[in-house]
Amino acid sequence: MLFSSITFLYYFLPIVLILYFAAPKSLKNVVLLLVSLFFYAWGEPKCIFLMLGTIALNYVFGILIEKAKTKQAKKIYLAISVIGTLSGLLYFKYAGFFVENFAAITGMSHLSLNIALPIGISFYTFQILSYSVDVYRGEVPAQKNIITLATYIALFPQLIAGPIVRYKDVAAQLVKRSHSFESAAYGIRRFIVGLGKKVLIANTLGELCQAFYATQDTSVMFYWLFAVCFTLQIYFDFSGYSDMAIGLGKIFGFDFLENFRYPFISKSLSEFWRRWHISLGSWFRDYVYFPMGGSRVKKPKLIFNLFVVWFLTGFWHGAEWNFVLWGLFFSVFLTLEKLFLTKPLEKSKIIARIYTLFFIIISFMIFSGNNAQEAFTRVGGLFGAGGIPLASAEALYQLRNYGVLVAIAIVGATPLPSKAYQYLKSKKTTSFFADIAEIIILLLILISVTAFLADGSFNPFLYFRF
Amino acid sequence: MNNRLKSIITVTVFAVFLLSVSVLCLAMPDTTHSDSERRELAQFPKVTTEKLVSGEFSKEFESYTTDQFPFRDAFRSIKTVLAHKVLGKLDNNGLFTADGHISKLDVAINEPMMDHAAERFNYIYNTYLTGSNVYFSIVPDKNYVLAEPNGFPAMDYESFINKMVQKVPNMKYIDICDLLSATDYYYTDTHWRQENITDIASRLAHHMGVKLTHDYTENTLDVPFYGVYAGQYAGGVVPDTIKYLTNDTINNAKVSAYNDKGMLVESTIYNMEKAQGKDPYEMFLSGTMAVVTIENPDAAQERELVLFRDSYGASIAPLFLSGYSKITVVDTRYIQSEYLKAFVDFEGADVLFLYSTSLLNNSLAIR
Repeated sequence: MLFSSITFLYYFLPIVLILYFAAPKSLKNVVLLLVSLFFYAWGEPKCIFLMLGTIALNYVFGILIEKAKTKQAKKIYLAISVIGTLSGLLYFKYAGFFVENFAAITGMSHLSLNIALPIGISFYTFQILSYSVDVYRGEVPAQKNIITLATYIALFPQLIAGPIVRYKDVAAQLVKRSHSFESAAYGIRRFIVGLGKKVLIANTLGELCQAFYATQDTSVMFYWLFAVCFTLQIYFDFSGYSDMAIGLGKIFGFDFLENFRYPFISKSLSEFWRRWHISLGSWFRDYVYFPMGGSRVKKPKLIFNLFVVWFLTGFWHGAEWNFVLWGLFFSVFLTLEKLFLTKPLEKSKIIARIYTLFFIIISFMIFSGNNAQEAFTRVGGLFGAGGIPLASAEALYQLRNYGVLVAIAIVGATPLPSKAYQYLKSKKTTSFFADIAEIIILLLILISVTAFLADGSFNPFLYFRF
Repeated sequence: MNNRLKSIITVTVFAVFLLSVSVLCLAMPDTTHSDSERRELAQFPKVTTEKLVSGEFSKEFESYTTDQFPFRDAFRSIKTVLAHKVLGKLDNNGLFTADGHISKLDVAINEPMMDHAAERFNYIYNTYLTGSNVYFSIVPDKNYVLAEPNGFPAMDYESFINKMVQKVPNMKYIDICDLLSATDYYYTDTHWRQENITDIASRLAHHMGVKLTHDYTENTLDVPFYGVYAGQYAGGVVPDTIKYLTNDTINNAKVSAYNDKGMLVESTIYNMEKAQGKDPYEMFLSGTMAVVTIENPDAAQERELVLFRDSYGASIAPLFLSGYSKITVVDTRYIQSEYLKAFVDFEGADVLFLYSTSLLNNSLAIR
């Protein structure tokens, strides 16, 4: 079930809110778990058993890891739970890819696997791995209540599109959390802002991307327009989902960490990854990069560590070579930044921002392809490869058609709107009106979103390959 | 405003809004048909174990909740205004407005679809018409005259027509594009206006060696005509007026038709019952009919025309009547080409294939 749907907004959510707030404290987790399982089963009825199996495995082995007397026994239990958990991800997400490539190399074209990817598997697998590893490291006690652990994994706000919430960040709130008008109001604000980002901006930018895929009138200009719109679409879609998750979490009394912090204002690609999909970046940092030695190693090892982390980061986004290339693209630039580029970039903010935005856009062209060949074609198209013209009638039209929206999206991707609001709030004369305007604007966003959804406008789910 | 008061107001406003809309969703009766969009609306899906397990139920339920959303047409109009006025979009739902018209953005040439149409036409030629004089003409969509002059992208019609003509080498092409202007089409619909296409009928007939006389009374239908684009566009739309032409020849014509179930039924050139229906354009030859035969008892000479057509042909067919004793109008979207021999007499007849670019570019319905 998508958050951006009539079914979720006006059927599922009101019922869930009534059930949750009507339930006594002792039953709130049970309510959350049951509605979360219903939420998941709504879209993936068969795959729910895989998730339940993963929860049961990690519940049992979490306790075994904690109770094990020796370091070696702890390691064995951890290994079993990690291998067991990852095997589901490997089979459902990557087996088809490996078989397809094996078939291509060996010429055994009859070999193929057609396995449906359970939605959200990459998110909940990484969440539960963080739980088992943290129990092993002694950073958190094993959860003895399976309802509590299952609630953590299945919690519907972040189940299908993140952020990847660490168990240790919400362990206390899973047991005891408070609810208030203030946190509920904050949650509503974040949810509606996220909903607006997704439905009004990302989905409409997505229509331009669809027009680009369908066009017979390609040009360098159209490639660049697509590149900018696709990059903005991914940002508004993904950060919109994170806002909705954080907002819903807040309504239910959870504090999820921020997942996006204006990534396009970064002055280096390293900074970009500290602002983009923060929960994934910090997961790989804490569970892969640091255990390998991180940056405090010799240069060849550092290069190797970065290569491994970014190969895995790219591959996490989808079982296709273009995602691997996307990860390796960042591995090259982050290595260069660590070794040579940091100081030169610090000398000029303007050059640093241009450099960062340019390569972010290039990277998303790689990301946008359905395979490596398409990724190369799209990057090449930006520079006129294939002898395409500089401009075309359709590109000029689409620039006029989406120019206002792109301008809105660019401003919306910076801290400017937030700063303007904070400024109005800080002044005595405008503070009251800022508060009233905020409520009215939020209501208007919700009505606008409803209008777009009732119209059946383009409403893709972009994370079906994650 | 202190933070707690603001929070209480925020929570109250949104709780009331959410619950009110939810109650409306549950309480308002379901409707079966959308007049504005001219389509059946999704109904509450049947609950079966298979549908639940496969996820089919949830997909159908989501279509149901969207289609049955309270005041959906009003929300769709809000969306149109927002898309144009706030997001600065020039088109909405694939439609644009220019010179008071709503028109479709149709840029891509779909060659496999053209191949399909050509294959069907060539099958008819090779099976029934070898050696006959067969003519072919293409009605450009109205964005042919509206898109480029108003800064919207348009299909390369010259290339489209050249390709299509090459695919049907046994047919003589008659160009009518230069005779069409925006005023020849309805504002809210894809079709052309009968009262403005007598010159087109004359040119087509002239190429087939027939001279037409156009002495008509212009009649105006007394119902507003919201064309097919009116509902899709979902904006504030001014309805069209349908005019239709009559004279003694048209009034005296005998019309019979095979409908899409293969039944022979008495018919009329202008179906006034359909004129009052959901799509008044269907008044021309009663809309979806597989084969319509129009006999002209006042004809000066025995000459017959077989007109293969889509919906554009329905309004132009009566205009040929002054030159022919019998016109057989065939729509192969409702009859398989293989069965035509039983319904159509091709012997000695002029044969004209008259199709719109929008159907040729999306031709799967042609059988």
